[in-house]
Amino acid sequence: MTDNSNLTDTLTFPSTTDQVAKADEFLESWLRKRGVPEDTIANMAIAVTELVNNAIKHGNKLQKNKMVTVSIMYASGKIEVTVTDEGEGFNPEVIPDPLAEENLLKEIGRGIFIVNSLIDDVKFEFPPEGGTKVIITKNID
Amino acid sequence: MKLTSREENDIVVLEPKGKIMGGPDATILHDQLHEFIDRDRKKVVIDLAKVEWMNSTGLGILISGLTTLRNNGGELKLARVTEKIESLLTITKLITVFDSYDSVEDALKSFE
Repeated sequence: MTDNSNLTDTLTFPSTTDQVAKADEFLESWLRKRGVPEDTIANMAIAVTELVNNAIKHGNKLQKNKMVTVSIMYASGKIEVTVTDEGEGFNPEVIPDPLAEENLLKEIGRGIFIVNSLIDDVKFEFPPEGGTKVIITKNID
Repeated sequence: MKLTSREENDIVVLEPKGKIMGGPDATILHDQLHEFIDRDRKKVVIDLAKVEWMNSTGLGILISGLTTLRNNGGELKLARVTEKIESLLTITKLITVFDSYDSVEDALKSFE
């Protein structure tokens, strides 16, 4: 049975790599309870774990006292997930192209590209108080 | 993610299971792969049939294995790539980098 109650939820956790699986479990079980199709859940999980990895490693630089927050909202045929860190922010326009010949065999640098490929809308915000907020939106057919 | 491995003659077959998303469990595949390379096993097949999905961390581990093996005169091949992972390999153009096969047997034969 589809559970349409409580259409927002938030998980906050310290910046340790073991939290990536917990964030995935939180997201997937939440979406599954609301009857979201499995393929959409997988795409959301791939995208959100990319963003959580970035927030933990590049944003908060693995400092345990800095927190990562994942917020989910499901309404009007859309799932919106926001991943927020407490780091120094970055310029998303200077990320190297992972499809360029010279980057193809690099082990890192594909995360944001994959998020953009799987998700309908991706927004970066850099609040004046610091940190990075990434808001991703997926339309549900 | 869970990982099992076996050896068929001089070829290592790695069978990860679950999701490869980063965090401590992702290092298991990386470490196991590099342990075999350190033991001079230069032919490796990764059977991806039981991997639900992976993100860029998983792709990075596959590339690390491929480049390390090739730099040492070896080769890494993929077998039973699922639709989800194949679509990721396609959008990242990594499909052009890896040899992939429909069965583990075909991947093993490709080393002959």
